[in-house]
Formats: sequence, structure tokens, C-alpha cells
Amino acid sequence: MKYSIPKFWRRKEGYYQIILTKCRECGKVAFFTYVRCPYCGSSNVELVKSCGRGVVEEFTISYNRVEEGEEYLPKIIAIVRLNEGVRVVGELVDIDLSEVKEGVEVEAVLRRFSSDDPHGLIYYGLKFAPVIKGA
Amino acid sequence: MFRVLCVPRPESLTGIVGWGVYIPRQRVKADEIASLWGFEKTLPKALWIEEKAVASVDEDTVTMGWYAAKVAIERGNVDPELIGAVFVGTESKPYAVKPSATIIADALGISKKKLSTDMEFACRAGGEGIRLAIALVASGTIKYGLAIGSDTAQASPGDVLELTASSGAAAYLIGPAEESVAQFEGVVTYVTDTPDFWRREGSKYPTHGEIFTGEPAYFHHIMSAVKMLFDELGLAPSDFDYAVFHQPNGKFPLQVGKKLGFPKEKILPGIVTPWIGNTYNGSALIGLAKVLEQAKPGDRILVATFGSGAGSDAFSIVVRDGIGERVGRGPKVEDLLKRKKYVSYAQYAKSRRLYIRNIG
Ligand SMILES: [Zn+2]
Repeated sequence: MKYSIPKFWRRKEGYYQIILTKCRECGKVAFFTYVRCPYCGSSNVELVKSCGRGVVEEFTISYNRVEEGEEYLPKIIAIVRLNEGVRVVGELVDIDLSEVKEGVEVEAVLRRFSSDDPHGLIYYGLKFAPVIKGA
Repeated sequence: MFRVLCVPRPESLTGIVGWGVYIPRQRVKADEIASLWGFEKTLPKALWIEEKAVASVDEDTVTMGWYAAKVAIERGNVDPELIGAVFVGTESKPYAVKPSATIIADALGISKKKLSTDMEFACRAGGEGIRLAIALVASGTIKYGLAIGSDTAQASPGDVLELTASSGAAAYLIGPAEESVAQFEGVVTYVTDTPDFWRREGSKYPTHGEIFTGEPAYFHHIMSAVKMLFDELGLAPSDFDYAVFHQPNGKFPLQVGKKLGFPKEKILPGIVTPWIGNTYNGSALIGLAKVLEQAKPGDRILVATFGSGAGSDAFSIVVRDGIGERVGRGPKVEDLLKRKKYVSYAQYAKSRRLYIRNIG
């Protein structure tokens, strides 16, 4: 599957890190970047990086065959509640289909999303994997 | 020749501030590979290789190096903005041209004002990265330097290398000695032009120079580097508590240690290859991490890398106070060794793209 190289480059920070908006007025945190707090409307907000840890809340298994992306199938797509309290959607890796369940502790890991083989760009971004014991 | 004793060696101004390791979850048994390709049943045992780690289809040198480096930074509790150099030692770059180091650095939020490059010297480029980071920190050019060794090692299916060639990464955050938990006491490197192993531009898999792989390459270079280190520091094997060597298989490090005068008990704590395979640039550096995670303040560790082509870096490292607390800040090598899922040769072949697909 062909990605737009400029689009990927512009959004790179959001693929490499989980950026959150924290409101200095009401204290709430929202996923991704806002100039105004989506809860109270205040513009007194700051951007913070998530620690990347959370738990699986819900998940689904995707068998959707994307041309040239077949080797990544099947994909587990999960809703993860981050330790900061917000919910994000991400792919779950390093876990068997039989092991996926609500409450599994996960951490964000850098993986390949896709690659324009054999000559194009390789696209990296964060997915979620079960926390390695001791981590 | 007289040694000058009153001038400190520059490397002694530096030490290991943090470290991290990554081993992929999948394992394939060496017996299965040996049986599939018609090797003698006794071969895996003779090489002391039981199973090897296999990176998933979405993992590569960049993603594994990223994880190891992330843990190294967390262990060191250092602001990524203060890291002035990122070196990635690898012989399995995802891109032939385009650095892996810049992807890892950007993804970790490391300062844009930095040195950053991928280095190639078969399995010892990661060791050279540590030497460069030491030099930059010792000279005051940078405060912290990150040296990563990461590989998804390639082996032609059916080649004896396939029994061991595996995937994994290690990262070391080098900084001022006083902030470190393991101080460099001395470092030397010994390199020559030796035709033991190579991969030509455009070749998918490496080739080995058969009789050159043992004595003239691995043993000669490691022993030369270690003896040089002993001479320069006035040390002997009895002065060391641990000895870690590059591990192309489980057998070679025990043999080279014995030749140098180390008892097996000082070598075994750093052995990892029998259970994860030869992670190339990760090999000796994962062994060192495993030793750091069990060492006590005051312990002296010998580390000798090896890379074909050929060369070896020998390091003498003295463990400092605070090591135990820093071990607890991230996953240990033991945790990563236990985290595993056995896969078939077919799954390994898919994960490492040993097939040809009609794409592009
Ligand atoms: Zn608000």
C-alpha cells in the first residue's frame, strides 16, 4: 500500500510518540494535540508525552486484506486506556489471539507499519505489546 | 617500553550510565533447522546452539535498537535532549542508504544537535560505537553518547550459519564516570584484513571463508586484543570476576576463554547464544548486560567483541556503587530470555522473508 511520503513526514512525531494535550484549567488530558481543551474550552493547555503504558479495554481481529500488506495479517486492533487516563486505538503485537483479553498491560513499541517494497520507504510507528516482565 | 602511570587513561573518565537489551519473542529450535537441511543430528550440540530468536515480520534493526535504547535511557534517567551522539552498529540495515540511527533518535526524542551514523564492521561495529562514544565523552565534546548494536542476522537457508544467525539488540548510554555504574578502566582494539566472512553489495546472504573463520579470525583477534589490554593495564585473568566474549555459538567463547586462562565459571554468566542464537552486533553486548545485571560493586569485567573482516575490542570495566538500583529500572536479560514463543520453520521463514512474493 502506498503512503504519501510528505504526509507521513509531517505526521512523524505523532507516529513516533504519543502526544497528549493537558489542560492547565480543568486538569483533563486528551489524546492528540488541541489548541483548546476539548472538555472546558480553555486555551491554557500544554502538550505532553505519554509514558506509553496502559491496559487493553477492547479489541477486534482484522482479516482485512490490504494489497501487499498480507504478511502482517491477521491484525489485532485494540482500544488501550493509557495510564494518563485517555483511550487510544492501536495495533497489538507479540500476543497470541488466544491470550488477548481485557486488562492486559501493554506498552507502546516502535514497529514497521508498512513498507513500499522493494524500493520505497519503510514506515515506522508505535504499536502496543504486552509489558515485558521486569519492565 | 615503559607505561606512564600518573596520567589517567581517557576512557577512565567515562562509564556506563544506562543499558538496555531487546530479544524478539519468537524462537525456532536449532534441531528443527538441522533436521530440515540434513545436518548431522549432533551438530547443534557440538556448536552448543539450542534455539534462536526470530524477529517478527514488523521488527528490524531499527525497531529492536529503538527498544534497547529506550531502556538504556530510562535506566540512565537521562534527558534525551542531552544525548550528543547516536551510533548504530549493524550489518542488517533496513536501508542500504538512509541511516537507522536518525530514525531511532527521532523516535526517542533525542536532540537534533548530535552526531549520528550507522556503522558496519560485521559483528563488532557496536563495540566500535562504544569506543567512539567513550572518546567523545572523555574529550568533553558531548555529555552522553548512545551506542547501539542491533541485527536481524541473515543466513542463506541451508547454510550452517542458519543454525545460529538470529535477531536482537543491545544499547549502552555512555557518560561521565562519576554518573556511571560501571567505569571503563581500559579499552584497546585490534584489527586486520582477514577474509573470514563477507557480504557483497546486492547479495542477500553472507559468505564465509571456511577455514578462516576459527583460528585466524575469531581466536587470533580476540586473543590479540585481550593480551594487549592485559599488557597495557598490567592485569591477568585472575584479576577479573567475569569474562564476556563475542558468541557466534556457545562453544567458541568457552574455548577462547580457556586459551586465555579463564575458568568456565567466569565465562558462563555472560553466555546467551545457546538460547537466542548469534545476535551479531548484539552478541557480546547482550552478554555484558547479563553480567552487569548480576555483578556487585568492585567487580571487574572483561568484554571482548569480535567482528569478521576482522577485529576485536577488549574492554576492562569496573562495576561501581548503585548498579543494583539501576538494574531494577528496566527489563533484565533474564526476563527477555524467559519471554518466548516457539515457532515452526515456516513461521520463521515468513517472519524473516525467506520467500519470494509477487510484489512491487
Ligand atoms: Zn480543560
